[in-house]
Amino acid sequence: MANRAPMLRIGQQDLKCRQGCGFYGNTQFDGLCSKCFRERNDKQRKRQKAGEDHETLKVNASSAGGTLERKSPQHSLSLGRANKTKKQPEKEETPAASSTMPRKKFTVPAVLQKTLKNKFPAIAPQPRVPSATESQFMLQLRQLRIPDDGKRKLKSEIQRLDHEIRKYMNNNSSKNVDELSDLVQNAYTRFADVVHNDARFEIATNEDRDIAIDFFEKVVMTQNHNLLFSPYFTTDEESDIKVQKRIRQLSWITTKHLDCSIDEVNAEARDLVYNAISELVGIDSYYSPQEKLLCTVRCCRHIFELLKRATGGPASADDFLPALIFVVLKANPVRLHSNLNFVNRFTNASRVMSGEGGYYFTNLCSAIAFIENLNGESLGISAEEFDAYMSGEQTYSTPWESALLACESLHLISENMKCMEQLQKRNSVISTGIKDFQRELIEFQREVTEKVDTVMAKAPLTLLPIKTPPFLISQARAHLAQDGVEAAAGHYQSNLLSLSPQTMTVKGKEQILEDSQLEVAHTLALKDTSVGSVGRLSPLHPNLPQPDQLFASPIFSYTPFDAVSLLEESSENDDVLMLGTEFHGGLTNINYDFDLSDQSGENSVADESKLNLDEFDPLVQERNTPAETTLLDTTADSLIDSDVPVSEVLLPSPLKPEVANYRGFSNFEIPSISCNTGDFSSLNQDVNDPVPLVQSNK
Amino acid sequence: MSSRRPGAGPTLNFKAVLLGEGCVGKTSLVLRYMEDRFNTQHLSTLQASFVTKKVMLPDERRAQLNIWDTAGQERFHALGPIYYRGSDGALLVYDITDQDSFQKVKSWVRELKQMRGSEIALIIVGNKTDLEDQRAISYETALRYAQTVGAHYVETSAKENDGVNELFELLTRLMVEHHGSKQQNDTNALRLQNSISDDGVEADQDENGHTNAGVQRSCCGI
Repeated sequence: MANRAPMLRIGQQDLKCRQGCGFYGNTQFDGLCSKCFRERNDKQRKRQKAGEDHETLKVNASSAGGTLERKSPQHSLSLGRANKTKKQPEKEETPAASSTMPRKKFTVPAVLQKTLKNKFPAIAPQPRVPSATESQFMLQLRQLRIPDDGKRKLKSEIQRLDHEIRKYMNNNSSKNVDELSDLVQNAYTRFADVVHNDARFEIATNEDRDIAIDFFEKVVMTQNHNLLFSPYFTTDEESDIKVQKRIRQLSWITTKHLDCSIDEVNAEARDLVYNAISELVGIDSYYSPQEKLLCTVRCCRHIFELLKRATGGPASADDFLPALIFVVLKANPVRLHSNLNFVNRFTNASRVMSGEGGYYFTNLCSAIAFIENLNGESLGISAEEFDAYMSGEQTYSTPWESALLACESLHLISENMKCMEQLQKRNSVISTGIKDFQRELIEFQREVTEKVDTVMAKAPLTLLPIKTPPFLISQARAHLAQDGVEAAAGHYQSNLLSLSPQTMTVKGKEQILEDSQLEVAHTLALKDTSVGSVGRLSPLHPNLPQPDQLFASPIFSYTPFDAVSLLEESSENDDVLMLGTEFHGGLTNINYDFDLSDQSGENSVADESKLNLDEFDPLVQERNTPAETTLLDTTADSLIDSDVPVSEVLLPSPLKPEVANYRGFSNFEIPSISCNTGDFSSLNQDVNDPVPLVQSNK
Repeated sequence: MSSRRPGAGPTLNFKAVLLGEGCVGKTSLVLRYMEDRFNTQHLSTLQASFVTKKVMLPDERRAQLNIWDTAGQERFHALGPIYYRGSDGALLVYDITDQDSFQKVKSWVRELKQMRGSEIALIIVGNKTDLEDQRAISYETALRYAQTVGAHYVETSAKENDGVNELFELLTRLMVEHHGSKQQNDTNALRLQNSISDDGVEADQDENGHTNAGVQRSCCGI
């Protein structure tokens, strides 16, 4: 596992010569300045002890899998050793020393030196030359805001526990780490009692008492770190190696397997993961359980920061644990088990049971428990797949690995793959969007056509027979009864009569024309519907009875024309007649109505049509055109052409009178029906003229 | 052992774990209690998995509640003991609209009973009462079950802030009761230890051990 190098935690104190002479020390001189080192070497020669320890170092270093050893632990070890030597200078070679203290080689001489200087420092702790760490503790002790009596008590308690631990460790009887743990825990409890109840601490505040308790724990643990950390009679070291191996085997695990929301590719997220990892790895570099816990807390805070960015809210345990597992897997911290056990056994029990540190520490424990026991099922993959990964049969490439390898291009590949994944996602979103849109379009089209169809079906376009109010008929009858009185009527009749033979002959041909124009008319009719104006005009087409078309053009072709029959059969005609002043409109209307309806048809529309015509002049014109063409001119091409001649000629056409009189029901003036008759000669001409044209067209 | 300070009135330290299937609202309950908010988007806290709250007990004592959230995913179920070890209370949360989550609670109860016996205060919490119309487990069923296993039953809605404060008040009360009933044992055990281990400073220890050690002991045991 390539771990990010943990940050160095070396203070000024650590850099100084450990003899406390004030000069800077050198690692090669085992933390001593050159002068002290030479002095020490002289003494070393006298006591030939370093050799054996050197071997031990080698063995331990290789078994720890190339573990990074920091400079600082050496201090603590030496310190512990120092204490030990102070008390039992003759018991150097305990079994514990040989198996658990790989770095003894350098420390011993210094220790001896100290020992020589201060024969029994435990009895008089102050005067001896303390190591850097120890002097720091002394300083801290002085700074504690508890009464001097309390400080003295604290010091004696520390020494007492120190002594107890050493006594236990040097005991030749079989050792049990749990007993040791109990011993320490009892000491904590006892000291807590002392602090809280002893008269010597009475004036201290609660905070100061807690600080004193912490200090007690910290000093004892730091001083005895070498004895208590991964004691030789436990299997901690084996577990360390086992877990390390296991994690190395599990390097193929990605965030996906753990279902956690860390973005492995995102550089910012990676930085936070790196921070968390370096904190986690750094746990090993601290001596006291408190510091280890604080380190854990810092590590977890980084993870929470990371999760908060990823999820947008405070992370819950559901998010946190997988992320922590991921970090542990990628960090693969050294001496994991030893550290956890050390904290578990020798810290104040309340610390791991409550408080933030305790919570995170518990999570760390469960993360490791999970890692030790995980299988395919817990990662959401099949057992076969899991085995394949574990045995290395199946190759893998995780974004995490690729980023750690210096191979820039490999990392680029995984970044690009992630990018492609996102692009693919977006692409699929777009393509589904397109499909949806297409479907919607088709649907829309279908809907619209359907709507149109239904609307068209709804508007029945059938024309109801017109019911002329009986009083009108009677009125008309009355008018007709005064036969001769109305000149107009006579006029009309005579006109009709004079025209009829001619017209009839034309009719035959016209009918053909009519047929050909029918389509045109039909389209027009549709247009009308769409505008909603003269809608009812159009539907008549299909109903057109042939015979009607014979009479299509002029009303006057109704030979048995009389007002009454008109009224009765198709008041449309009457209406048309009454339209009067509007020649063109009237004409169109009439033409259509006549052409398309049988006499029974249409009248219902009369009023409307008139209105509409007024409103929609252009339409009127349009309709005019084909109508006129139908009647008078077979060339349907130009509106003006057909129109102009009509207006030019100002035909007193047979239509005109009808139109003029066609006033609608409101002011029904039968007598005026025939009053504005044109002269028929002109009409005849007109009617005759188109015929050759038609023929030519044909 | 938690440290107790008789001088300024003892502060009791309690630890409670939240257990339950994922998505039943464990975190929401805590957030509601701590911040009185439901929507997690606008929370000021960095995390919602570990919270502490200081409460004043009716008898003027101060207590600190440590509430530990646990991961609810099935794959982490086996890690439960690591969390509830040493806790004074457990909230077993389920979703009243989800039968499975209730079954999960039952399995938690069995496990806790086996591991911790009666030394842990159990409260079964039916969350999401705002989804009454989708309810899958009736109040009576849950209550009856809770009674058979010696647990308390509370229904809450973290969304509507219904019953949340009451829940945590009940939890505190139960843990205090448990604590009180165990104090005596602890004290005795401590005295015994002290008398055994004391040698040089016996006078001190005796004096301290016999004063007001009773109130200060936590229930975590030694």
